[in-house]
Amino acid sequence: MIEITKGSLLGRAAKWFDPRWRTLNMLGFILNRVTAIGLTLYLFLHLGVLSLLAQGAKAYDGFIALAHSPVFIFGEALVVAAGFIHGLNGIRIALNSFGIGARYQKALLVLVLVVALACSLVFAVRMFGA
Amino acid sequence: MNNTFYGPRSGESAWLWFAKALSGLVMIVILIIHFIANHFAAPNGLLSYADIVRYYQNPLVLAMEIGFVAFAVSHALIGLRGIILDLKPGAAFIRVINWLFTLLGASAIIYGIWLILTIAGRGAA
Repeated sequence: MIEITKGSLLGRAAKWFDPRWRTLNMLGFILNRVTAIGLTLYLFLHLGVLSLLAQGAKAYDGFIALAHSPVFIFGEALVVAAGFIHGLNGIRIALNSFGIGARYQKALLVLVLVVALACSLVFAVRMFGA
Repeated sequence: MNNTFYGPRSGESAWLWFAKALSGLVMIVILIIHFIANHFAAPNGLLSYADIVRYYQNPLVLAMEIGFVAFAVSHALIGLRGIILDLKPGAAFIRVINWLFTLLGASAIIYGIWLILTIAGRGAA
């Protein structure tokens, strides 16, 4: 595993972005964390926004109208992309953890990233086209 | 770096690691259903308030949504704790995080279940 034991807390966090670590595995590692943090933020925002449901039809449907604006759709497209990267990579990590396909983990990471990119583009086109 | 081992990290029990992996996989299935019902089947991509109340009259949907919020919150907080553990914080810091995340997670799940049941209740005439 990666040796992160020296320096301050922030210094250790900054190691994620150190170019000397940028092997393919490290790219997968960084992408998984960045998307994890983004999706966690989205989850709590999502739970918060849904409290509008408790206020009734007017409050919620007013928000739905706002959610059709391009800024919201762009944000949602980012969430979808993060979801594809994190979800597909998660399947790869889970399989590898149980020894399935562990020999091909690098090739599988490339596959995950290509499929995630393709799916994200399809979704983005669909979302902006709607 | 050539052979990365994926599994519980130091300070993360095997049980928590397994819970994270399992909840992740279950969420993928629920997320697909969630997307079909809430976005693909909706006329302009999002359900209205009335649509959601109607959708929540199905007890299977309620069970799925309650499971979804519980799995998502647990997975997110176990994962976030893992990221913090990788930064090798002190034992006191980890204890604070454990309490804080347990409290935050329990509150979020209780709030989620309350919201789901409240909305479902709006449909009962």
